[in-house]
Amino acid sequence: MAAVSHSAWEPYTPDGDAPWNLQRVVHLHRRAAFAAPWDVLQGDLADGPQAAVDRLIQGDKSPAFESMAKTIGDAAMASGSPGRLKAWWVYRMLMSPDPLGERLTLMWHNHFATSNRKVQDLVLMREQNDLLREHARAPFSKLLTAVVKHPAMLVWLDADSNRKGHPNENLARELMELFTLGVGNYSEQDVKGAARALTGWTIAGGQFAFREARHDAGEVELLGDRGPLTGDDLLERLLKHPATAERLAWRICQTLLGEEVTPQAALDELADGIAAHQLNIGWAVETVLRSHLFFSNENLRSRVSGPMEYVIGVLRALELRSPPPSTLVLAEWAHRMGQDLFYPPNVGGWNEGRTWLATRTVVARANFADALVAGRLWRPARELEPDALIRRHSQSDKLASRVTWLAKLLWGECPEDTTAPVVKAARSAEAPLSRALALLLASPENSLA
Amino acid sequence: MLSRRQFLQTSSVISLSPALPCVFTKTAYAAGSEQDAKSLVVIQLDGGNDGLNTVVPFGDDEYGRSRKRLRLQAEKLHKLDDHVGLHPSMRAAKELFDDGRLSIVQGVGYPNPDRSHFRSMKIWQTASFDDADHDGYGWLGRTLDTKAPSTVDTPGAIYVGDQETPVALWGRRSQATALSREEDLRLLLSPAFRQEQTLEPDASLSSFVSRQTLSAVAASEEFERQQTRATRASSGYPNTGLGTRLNLISQLLKSGSQSRVYYTAQSGYDTHSAQLYTHSRLLREFSEALSAFLKDLKSAGLDDRAVVLAFSEFGRRVKENDSQGTDHGTAGPVFLAGAPVAGGLFGAAPDLSDLDDGDIRTQVDFRQVYSTLLTDWLGADAATVLAGAHDNLPLLRQS
Repeated sequence: MAAVSHSAWEPYTPDGDAPWNLQRVVHLHRRAAFAAPWDVLQGDLADGPQAAVDRLIQGDKSPAFESMAKTIGDAAMASGSPGRLKAWWVYRMLMSPDPLGERLTLMWHNHFATSNRKVQDLVLMREQNDLLREHARAPFSKLLTAVVKHPAMLVWLDADSNRKGHPNENLARELMELFTLGVGNYSEQDVKGAARALTGWTIAGGQFAFREARHDAGEVELLGDRGPLTGDDLLERLLKHPATAERLAWRICQTLLGEEVTPQAALDELADGIAAHQLNIGWAVETVLRSHLFFSNENLRSRVSGPMEYVIGVLRALELRSPPPSTLVLAEWAHRMGQDLFYPPNVGGWNEGRTWLATRTVVARANFADALVAGRLWRPARELEPDALIRRHSQSDKLASRVTWLAKLLWGECPEDTTAPVVKAARSAEAPLSRALALLLASPENSLA
Repeated sequence: MLSRRQFLQTSSVISLSPALPCVFTKTAYAAGSEQDAKSLVVIQLDGGNDGLNTVVPFGDDEYGRSRKRLRLQAEKLHKLDDHVGLHPSMRAAKELFDDGRLSIVQGVGYPNPDRSHFRSMKIWQTASFDDADHDGYGWLGRTLDTKAPSTVDTPGAIYVGDQETPVALWGRRSQATALSREEDLRLLLSPAFRQEQTLEPDASLSSFVSRQTLSAVAASEEFERQQTRATRASSGYPNTGLGTRLNLISQLLKSGSQSRVYYTAQSGYDTHSAQLYTHSRLLREFSEALSAFLKDLKSAGLDDRAVVLAFSEFGRRVKENDSQGTDHGTAGPVFLAGAPVAGGLFGAAPDLSDLDDGDIRTQVDFRQVYSTLLTDWLGADAATVLAGAHDNLPLLRQS
């Protein structure tokens, strides 16, 4: 931390202490884009951090991908099956040429955690997901307004029950506690005021609607002000509050930076920057990804990968997308690891970090590795050929050096004390390379990025 | 420094905190573990149990008149007093009753009963009559909300079953985990480890990740051991759905699970036709599974840690229908079982000559039962959880 003299968010420039090496390239992709295959890593290594981050920020567009994703999404809607809705999003994460966009969509799904358990409408859940994606890098005002006024959220947080004289505080409370200000920045009085401001919001014809007659137009006390307040006024007020920028800074750092990596001063500085940039998320994400802090040694391998990052990352890195595995099966595995897409555990979303690793979910990670190597992620099951992948990129026939190569692909480095027991355990197996791959994927190291 | 082998060998001997790397725990080194935590095990009897043929008021002349074909012979009942007796297939439950480990509350329901399975179950699960709350937070989720810090990584509640996690367990912050298969706890691939593993409670992330993985391996192995042992000892669980699920819950408890609430269901109680055989089978399965579960916990020295609550969304009409079955009714009996319960019958038997439009009158509000469990067992503020105060009942042994 001592090296950070002026600002943690100064752009990263490689130096002897923090060289641009394979580990940092892998780090960038695993944090911001699930993970990348060998050729992409090598390209970024050659082109430098500027170009590598540029490519992620811009993201590619592919009409063919969008058209296929749309077909899958429409079929999911027609089927009425929540499993197929999950599979649709997993397909997007797995195949999208804009992996950062999908990663940020996942971040917003956690921020605006909405569960189909209550919404019970696949079309609304998909629409909300598309909004999260569309505005993933937008000014936060657009994202917040779009999501909070979308029927999925209105159903989820009982907007319709909140009427003049009969307040339901659900939407008001979560709007302040979770979506904008964060706990400690408002009073119970403010929640009551906000709930009154939101009266009249409802759904009509599958869309947001405002019912004047249900709206409480009386004077409302909110955050030290007094006067009549509409729901839109309330959003505007919350967006201007400095605590909202702070919460966004926290959310972005929680997603892109490791555990205890961001000092309070850096968070504050990022929050100031976010406020100065009209809550522009794209600006904040880019600032973080280009920063000295992001590529600092303490930020490397300091974060527990979430289930979707784990599942998608492995498949992207190992070039296992053609033919793609069954995305239905992948969604089920992520569920076993504790992340059931479209069904977050509660309105606060997943806690992330260390909480991803409870006994059952660790067992699921290891068993996923086993299933992957055995080809059971595909329908029908297929024979996996890790051999072919390695031969495409590396010459060696020796098990030990092949394991080393795999470790570099996955982690950007090869800790001897991790790979040695893997090699030893795999050598006597029937298919040593497959076994070694499974062991690497199941190792504790692979849960860190 | 210990090797993995040493770790696994010693873990079942040395007293880590808690004793074993636990299924569903943070880590073997978790601070503030609640090894002695009290657990509530809920069995939901799905479909509307015919309470009148469960706790049978054989002493009420109206019983025989209303139940011409479904009437159970008084001499075959397991008599609890000179007025009521348990269904003939509930021998195992009668033994628990005689042993003081079964409390039966009669006539439990709520005002203005709803005869829809769906809505009545939501009312029981959320303890709210407002439809707007019925997809929100459940009574146990709210209970755990009052206890859990915001970043617990042990789920407060575990649902064992194949259905969607019941709304009873949903909280605003607390988390419920669903477990449908024991395979979810079985490692297919045992990870390879570094030769030497630091076992000091090191706060670093990499040490945490290694510990969690070791813990999972140990827990999985312990779980396998429990299973083998359970099979070998043929613990007496009936080979039925409920038996299997209670067995799984017992294994979780024995493996040191820190969760406070376990929830499962037995379905099939919606006996509109030809109910005699079905109902008898269901009650036998229920009684035997319950009895095996308590016996199992007792032999593991855990019987003072768990209370079982069994309820159904409603009872059935007093008068049988024309298909040798019964239709949806209102109040019914609720069971509380385990070493910590006071045992015995609570509330008067339903008076079949004083019905409310052909239905049994509610004598005890189900929220009184909840309130009692919250206050006397889970140590939660019942008035907060239930949004109002309810009179508690003397259902638990006062220690």
